[in-house]
Amino acid sequence: MREIRIALTGNPNVGKTTLFNALTGSRQHVGNWPGVTVEKKTGRVSHNGYEIEVVDLPGTYSLTAYSADEVVARDYILEERPDVVVQVVDATNLERNLYLTTQVAELGVPMVIALNMADMAEAQGDTIDLARLSEFLEIPVVRTVGTRGEGLDTLLEAAIKEAATSPHHEHTIGYGDDVEATIAMLADALSTDIDLARRYPLRWLAVKLLEGDENVLDKVRGGPALARVESILSSIDSDEYEAMMADKRYEAISAILPQVRKANVRNMSPSDMLDRVVTDRYLGIPIFLALMWGTFQLTFTVAAPFMTMIEAAVGWLAEFVAGSIEPAWLASFLGDGIIGGVGAVVVFLPNIFILFLILAFLEDSGYLARAAFIMDRPLYALGLPGKAFIPMLVGFGCNVPAIMATRSIEGEKDRLLTILVNPFMSCSARLPVYILLAGTFFPEQAGSVVFFLYVLGIAVAIASAKLFRSTILPGEVSPFVMEMPPYRIPTAITSLRHMWSRGSMYIRKAGSIILIGVLVVWALASFPLGVEYGSAESFAGMIGHLLEPLVAPLGFDWKVAVALIFGFIAKEIVVGSLGVLYGTGEETLSSALLADPGLSAAAALALMVFVLLYTPCVAAIGVIRQETGSWKWAGFSVAYGLVVAWLLAFVVGHSAGLFLGGI
Amino acid sequence: MAGTCPLALLAPGTGGTVAELRAGKGMQTRLFGMGFCPDARVKVQCADRGSIIVSVGDARYALSRGMAMKILVREGIP
Repeated sequence: MREIRIALTGNPNVGKTTLFNALTGSRQHVGNWPGVTVEKKTGRVSHNGYEIEVVDLPGTYSLTAYSADEVVARDYILEERPDVVVQVVDATNLERNLYLTTQVAELGVPMVIALNMADMAEAQGDTIDLARLSEFLEIPVVRTVGTRGEGLDTLLEAAIKEAATSPHHEHTIGYGDDVEATIAMLADALSTDIDLARRYPLRWLAVKLLEGDENVLDKVRGGPALARVESILSSIDSDEYEAMMADKRYEAISAILPQVRKANVRNMSPSDMLDRVVTDRYLGIPIFLALMWGTFQLTFTVAAPFMTMIEAAVGWLAEFVAGSIEPAWLASFLGDGIIGGVGAVVVFLPNIFILFLILAFLEDSGYLARAAFIMDRPLYALGLPGKAFIPMLVGFGCNVPAIMATRSIEGEKDRLLTILVNPFMSCSARLPVYILLAGTFFPEQAGSVVFFLYVLGIAVAIASAKLFRSTILPGEVSPFVMEMPPYRIPTAITSLRHMWSRGSMYIRKAGSIILIGVLVVWALASFPLGVEYGSAESFAGMIGHLLEPLVAPLGFDWKVAVALIFGFIAKEIVVGSLGVLYGTGEETLSSALLADPGLSAAAALALMVFVLLYTPCVAAIGVIRQETGSWKWAGFSVAYGLVVAWLLAFVVGHSAGLFLGGI
Repeated sequence: MAGTCPLALLAPGTGGTVAELRAGKGMQTRLFGMGFCPDARVKVQCADRGSIIVSVGDARYALSRGMAMKILVREGIP
């Protein structure tokens, strides 16, 4: 069995990730959102006795060092030297895609072109002559349709064949006499740096230097060629050179195109017409709001019967375990602790999966890119980029995938800001707390109370964004550039996969962190040995008493303090913990809470506000750390959340106390 | 050059060809890669909001007006 390594490259939005999934069968995030592939992803496939490793590189428009994505992509090709680079090309958009081809070809690596979305080009009435295109470029071209898995075998065979063919000539563009002379001079100067010359193609280095590539200049610094290179570069106008070279690349492309493609003349595509409507000055926002309202409506109505079923199953299982296992402490541990605790989380699976499925459908269809465009101006006024809107929306489901979804935001400050305000979007884990407390203390106005909490969360997110912009993250929102992909009808399989990749993060959380959380709660409430479960003498009780003075101004007693500590693990645990501490099941918790003179209606309201705003859960903190790369911001997020929660809970609790007869 | 105008100032439905990019190094390269090269045909699809939607060849982007100001266009040839 021989091994080869293939790297997939291409512009954003050409179906590269879809093709990667089709090739390797791995479960990945497939998006219609520009720049979705931020990390290096690998997969494996066997074909004709070859074991092939496929690496999915970030989508880029070019191979300069403009963005981190581009540097990642080109460093991989130059330094890891894959056996073949497969460029995925959008057949409906040849000019721009071939621009990248000219740049990849200059790297002098074996290359194959996957002419993807060929079906869409054909549907538009374009015909592309693959054989001639391949002949002009001197690169094998294979027709693929990633969404239907067409052309995969041919692509793999072409890649295997190309990997075995050596040596390789560099496919290069002629830049015209002036530029070529300078390139030759630079290449000659660079050849004195033997170490550099061994690692990189000289011509490529020269071309990049002429384009003013700082990253390449850094490679030359410290080497023997620097002085000569600098003197050559100072003698030319690099801005002018760069424009001239880009011209030549496009010139080469436009010389080829008419000979290989018969483009159908189209005046107004269905995409154009749809865009007219959904981005209309007057209709755009109402259509957007209607779709969002429909999304949430559908999420809750479709999920309701599933939730009832899961609730019943969990309840039955917990009872069965409690009744049939000896000794009693083990039964309580398994039934109340593990099944009850994890069950409380699993109940939200239908909600989360349906929300994510609808979002995946909207994203894959191309609509979400338009929605981000529509929301750009209102969000811009708040100091957030238009692209922040999707993470905010996902945050209503779960903040963990939401914070990961911020990766498509380019500006570092913009992204950090979006991450920091995301935890204030009320995720579905907070809903059971509202349902319990609002249902118990405000049975007549429960719906309005819950609505108020969601709005409060959004308001705090907006106010915080404003605050951070003017203090810790000053600056302008970076200019908005986003590709508007053509509308597509999403296939069920891609949307389901997309849903799964986000939803499975939630399941993993339920399976790991929350399970651990439940164990900790149970242990703290059961020890030291011999105390009554969850009583004031248990460890949990002691901690609660210690913290009571801190939360007393909000009208909370030690039991609430304990529940809030446990809620740090996952906010839905607050409900289960209260159940444990009041010594009732969740079914009778309502009456127990009402009967407690230590918890007033105003304090219950304050508690809901507190749960909405205080510290992100452990899983969210972990992902903030991962995405910002520092504990500093994760710690900041916790501290800021606690302060804001305390202040607002105090204000809301005491204001409500005026009407409800004291906190 | 006679008759050039920033892309941001074109009316929706009109277009032309790119004459010049007045952007910094990195941004210019990025715009090249996206298809905004000299002589590329551009058309403003929608200009109702803070950003405009522009088509270049078969691709379509939302661009902030600030960025669209940096793309100078020779008007005509829709």
